[in-house]
Amino acid sequence: MMFPVRCFTCGALIGHLWEEFKKRVEAGEDPGKVLDDLGVKRYCCRRMFLSHVDIYYEILNFPKVS
Amino acid sequence: MVEIRVLEKNPYVLKLHVKDIPLHVLNSIRRTILSEVPTMAVDFVVFTINSSVFYDEYIAHRLGLIPLTSEEALEKYKSPEECREAGEKGVFSEDCFVKLELEGKGREGEIVTLYSGDLKTSDPDVKPIHDKIPILALTGNQEIKLEAYARLGRGKEHAKWSPVSIATHKYVPNILIDYEKCKGETCKECIEVCPRNIFDLVDGKLIVKSEKIYECTLCRYCEEKCPVNAIRVKWIENEFILTIESTGSLSTKKILLEAVKILEEKINDFINSLKERGVLE
Repeated sequence: MMFPVRCFTCGALIGHLWEEFKKRVEAGEDPGKVLDDLGVKRYCCRRMFLSHVDIYYEILNFPKVS
Repeated sequence: MVEIRVLEKNPYVLKLHVKDIPLHVLNSIRRTILSEVPTMAVDFVVFTINSSVFYDEYIAHRLGLIPLTSEEALEKYKSPEECREAGEKGVFSEDCFVKLELEGKGREGEIVTLYSGDLKTSDPDVKPIHDKIPILALTGNQEIKLEAYARLGRGKEHAKWSPVSIATHKYVPNILIDYEKCKGETCKECIEVCPRNIFDLVDGKLIVKSEKIYECTLCRYCEEKCPVNAIRVKWIENEFILTIESTGSLSTKKILLEAVKILEEKINDFINSLKERGVLE
């Protein structure tokens, strides 16, 4: 759904970096360079960014069944 | 005498080169940091309204993972063990819990994202370390109203209370080159193969870059690839590199001091119980 607050593997805080990452990648920057720039060093944290899909934009418009 | 050299220091990362310390001592400090040093984190969440598409558990989990500033809270609030009991009984007393409130409404045709900065805290000393962590999104007539209760806890109970994301130690690499065997300029095999680029040629002589030696991962790929067996990757006894990466809830200095304090208390407890049983005089 939403971008995770922390990296699944190492537990480093990454949630606050997502929006900047997304904005810059959509503007055409190289994802790897953006991650270097944001200070995301380890590959466990980097894959969190590279593999994430913001699915909640679509789910938001459907009623919740619970 | 323990000798320490600071390799890297910034608000979040501390890297130390520690000499003359046995591995088990350093490891006990490291493990104390990971599982014993207390920090603040959200533990209970009371939902009054939640008509968003996110389930209560999902939001509660996200809230729990947000690091909260805990530098002052360590002295201010009761110990994790006491507060855990109080929380399980449903007593959210002020000497244990910090209340964080979140309220928000969606707007038609628009996505409203609520951030950690929107949390209203009852104690200004305990607040999210970053204001831009997204918690949930709302649209249309969706609404959220909740109270989150944060308390002190330890990493062994749940990783959200751990003050560090990584705490590691590693050996200090010692790379020995046999210059009688090394062919220097004509070979260059190890230079090309090293994943951390720690080798270099100076006047046709193979050397290890002094500033890069700490980056060596001891993978021994150079040893394996050298056609004449001129390289030996060893490490130095009783010398280690300790790396601490804080999540931001506590400063690296505070984490280390707190860990040593807790470890000392534990050892004193052990000695006292030995004395009580007459094992020690």
